[in-house]
This record gives sequence, C-alpha cells and structure tokens, in this order.
Amino acid sequence: MTATNEWTATNECEVLIIGSGAGGATTAAILAEAGHDVLIIEEGPWVDQGEVVPFSLEQMDRQYRSGGVTVALGIPSIAYTEGRCAGGGTEVNSGLYRRPPEQAIARWQRDYAIDDFDAGDLLSICEEVEEQLTVQTVPGEHTRASEILRDGAAALGWQHDESPRWMSYPEGGRAVDGQRQSMTRTYLPRAFAAGARMLTEHRLDRLVMSGGAATSAQLSATATGVDQPTTITFKSVFVCGGAIQTPAILQRAGLRHRVGRTLAVHPTVKLAARFDENVNTPDDVPVFQVKEFAPGISFGGSASHPGLVALSLTDNWREFGAAVTAWPELAIYYAAITSQGRGWVQAIPGVRDPIVTYRLTKRDRALLGQGLARLALLMLEAGADEVYPSFKHAPLVRNRADLAKMTAAFAATRASVMTVHLCSTAPMGENHKRTATNSFGKVHGASNVWVNDAALLPDAPGVNPQASVMAIAIRNARRFADERAG
Amino acid sequence: MRAPSTLSTPMARFADALLSVDLPALPVAPRRQTVSFIDERVQTMPSVPRFGVKAIGVGVDVLSRLFGVDRVISLVTKLPIPLLAEYPRLIRSLAFAYIWETWPATQTDGAQ
Repeated sequence: MTATNEWTATNECEVLIIGSGAGGATTAAILAEAGHDVLIIEEGPWVDQGEVVPFSLEQMDRQYRSGGVTVALGIPSIAYTEGRCAGGGTEVNSGLYRRPPEQAIARWQRDYAIDDFDAGDLLSICEEVEEQLTVQTVPGEHTRASEILRDGAAALGWQHDESPRWMSYPEGGRAVDGQRQSMTRTYLPRAFAAGARMLTEHRLDRLVMSGGAATSAQLSATATGVDQPTTITFKSVFVCGGAIQTPAILQRAGLRHRVGRTLAVHPTVKLAARFDENVNTPDDVPVFQVKEFAPGISFGGSASHPGLVALSLTDNWREFGAAVTAWPELAIYYAAITSQGRGWVQAIPGVRDPIVTYRLTKRDRALLGQGLARLALLMLEAGADEVYPSFKHAPLVRNRADLAKMTAAFAATRASVMTVHLCSTAPMGENHKRTATNSFGKVHGASNVWVNDAALLPDAPGVNPQASVMAIAIRNARRFADERAG
Repeated sequence: MRAPSTLSTPMARFADALLSVDLPALPVAPRRQTVSFIDERVQTMPSVPRFGVKAIGVGVDVLSRLFGVDRVISLVTKLPIPLLAEYPRLIRSLAFAYIWETWPATQTDGAQ
C-alpha cells in the first residue's frame, strides 16, 4: 500500500485526482496503468475493512463526512450521507450493484447530447467492473430480514429480485459471510501497483486557476495534530469528490457554468416492521429489492442496528417507543422514489462547507406516500405483527384498515426523508445549456480540469448509481489516456 | 468512554432537559454522556446547518430561561414550525441512536 497521511514526496505530479471513491479510484487505476504519474488526494483516513463494525456509530465517526449528520435543506429537509475516507462511499454503503438501465443511458445520450455514449460499450465496461469486484448474488443462506422482502413481494405477486453485491463469499457462504470488495481492496491497490501515490487526510482548500487552466492545488492536513499546508502542481486534475464536494470545488475555482444547479437524489422514507421471531441482523442489509413499481418506486432493506431501530421510532416515541426493547424482532425497510425535484449545491466564500438544498415536487411527495403505504402492505403480507412508519403522527399499522389511516395521515413534510444516492451536480454532454462538462467530463471553460464521479450523471438513474459512476469514470479515463497516447 | 457533558452550551442544556422528559429513568451519567455525544456531532456538522442549529439553540435557551424549559420543550416539540421543529428532532435522533447502540438493553423509559 502506498497511501500515507504524511507528505514526504515531491510536490508535483502529472495527474492529480481529488477523491478516492468509485470515480477517483477507477480513474487512478486506469491512468496509472496507462503510464501517467498519478497522485490521489483523499480528505479522510485509510480504514481497512474490518477495522470498524459496518453501519455503526464508530464507522460514522471515522468514515462519514460530518459523522453522518449532513442535510439538504428544504421542506422537508433530506438527510444524506457521504463517505469521507479512502475508497469513499464504497467503503460504507450497502454494496448493492445495479447496472445502469439502458433506458437511462439512452435518455442521457439524447437529452444531454453525449458523444460516443453507447449502451453496449458502457455495459461492456460493467462486465469488467463485475469481474474486478466479484459482483455476485449470495451463494448460501440469506438473512431473515432479506427473505421478508422476497416473501412479502411473492405473496402480493409483485416483481422482485436479488440485487447482486460487490462481495466475495466462501463457497456456499451465507449473506453475513461476504467480504466487501470496495475501492481499498480493488482499484486503489491496482493503481498503487501501477505506480500511483496517495495522500490521505488532506483536504483540498482551493484549485488555483490561471488563464482558464488549473495550475496548482492548495491542501491542508485534516489529521489531528498535523498542520502542514501543501501546494501541489500538476498538468491535469480530475475532481472526484462526489456530488456535493465536486461542485463546491469547481465553484471555488471560479468554474460555475451549470455547476451545482441540478442535484438529483433518490429520496427515501422508512418504516420498522416487527415480527414474531428474531429478524434483525445488525451488521448487514437485505439484498432483495422489490421492483414492481420501478423506476418510480422501489423497496429495499436498511441497516438495522439497535441504534438505528431506535432512530426509526423517534418521530412517535410515546406511541412506538416501547417496541425498541424488542429490537431483535424489528428490521428497517425503505421506499425509494425517482424524484423529479432538483437541488442546489452552493459554495459560500469564507465558509468551509457548501450549502445544500433540495426541493421535492408535489408528485415526489405523493409518490413517497404511495411508496410507504405499499411497503407497509408488503410487510403485513410478509407476516409483520406491527409496522411503525417513520413520520410524525403516524398510526401504528397492524392490518389493512390501519393502512388507510396511515395513508390519510401521511405528509412528506412530517416524514424523516433521507437519501444515500446523490448525483448530477456537474452533468456531462455537448448540450451547453444543460451541462457543466463535455461528453468526457472535461469542465466547460477550463483546459485541464475534469470531473469523473457521480456529479457527471445527468440525472438519478433509478437504481444504485455506483456501477453507472464506475463505468462512466473508466470510459472517460480511457479517453483521456488514449488522447494523450495517440 | 466519552466524558459526560458539563451542560455548558445552550444545546447541551436543552438536550439534557429533553432527554429527562423523554427518558425519565435514564440515569444522569449516561444522559450526560449522551449529551456530550450530541454536542460533538453538532460541532462536526457542515458550517451552515451547524450555525442554524446553534442559533436556534440560543433562541430556545433564552426562551427556556424566560418561560421555563418544560413549557418550551412542550412548545417546540408540538408546533410544526419548519426548522424549529427540526431542532428537537435532531437531538432526539442523535440521542436515541447513541443510547441504543451504546446500551442496547435500555428500556423505553431509559432505565438500564
């Protein structure tokens, strides 16, 4: 491993990559293997898999931005999370994998005029990614919380399937035996093997621009007790800080054309369901997903640590709180929607963090209500004794009659809405009225600045976006390398 | 183990009072430890929301001194005023997540 949080190397490189998540790590591997001198800067620490319990508060402390307490302001506000560690979000997310839908690829190509954006090419890259990350379904026994989703959907005749994950399993292994094949285990070691270097626990304060080109990056150390401002010069820079940090970095550098104006997310609402047996697996998430109403609404399962179960009950603690002592019998599920709303990310001079806002449309709010009601129905069909919806003044749901009361009581403004899928804050394509970069991530108005992460996706794909991000990042990195080779 | 809060900030005072109401049987030591956790998390929030939370905290603290913390808790937890209503929600969310992850056998009233 050649990642370090102490600056000992030369302060120049050919290609600087800001961020080491799904976009940054893949970019680093492709460019280093093509012979480029690559330096990766990561704001967070390197944390090996297994050092912290998945989905725990300790993990939030060490690997999430702001300890996981981040919010897009709005009515309602939407809580979101960002990874802040080597490997970015791939180290902390659920590891579920979905190829970009061909309909989404066609829509992006058409509406944003993206050149050479062929579904066949992208899906071919997805096959490479799947091999690298050992994407597969669970070979052995599923968790009970996962089977509940499958059983409920089957009882209702709703379409459902198992989402593959980027996990490795022992032969015939159970769901809980999987080992996450995140960026610190796959693309980052590949990049290091090809000569890439990585500096962790350093935050990019500013990209210095001169005459339409970025000339240097000013960094400051984030590790406690380390205070060593650093300036790095480079020929080209890839900004891969994710859909919130990337637009803020560009805006601070004076690159503002269509940057940060079109944040897209998959908003989710949640419920906890109680069964007459132990169903809770604290450190894993269900892999079955219900796609009957996709792409508008999808259902899945969430992490269900006892702390997260308590969190899901807080909106109606007096009525629901008693259930917390039975947390082994509870699991948390979500309804996610494909939103038509959009948000803003805006860097503010003199303030470290950008302000993030998001506005749900009337249709989005209605869809969240429909999603929650259908999810509750599925839980009842799966045998739930009680369902606890996560919105203020929600009734306890024990039967179909209660469902009607729940539907009547629902208002998105009372709900605990959250998301983990953020994208589209620097969309790609040749349609300059809609895009911040060209078809391969090069930022409009800059000669040597590229974006290569979730910010490029023209909108939220309706499925877990990591495969889309990785495929597009690899495509763009190869284009960059080919242009310089030929 | 996290050091207990000394209730030196407006938010810590409100959080301590709110937890006393929500979880009356939670002993003082874990309650203060939970308040300390909440304080730390708020300190790490992004700049603008952190400023907003602190501003609301100061306002609520002033109101609590004028009208009594119990009345203010009752008011801010019931009135559906955007942003203000998010304040007790944020505190409860952080507190309950911390308590049940740290002490999973905690009872509904906070008894341990």
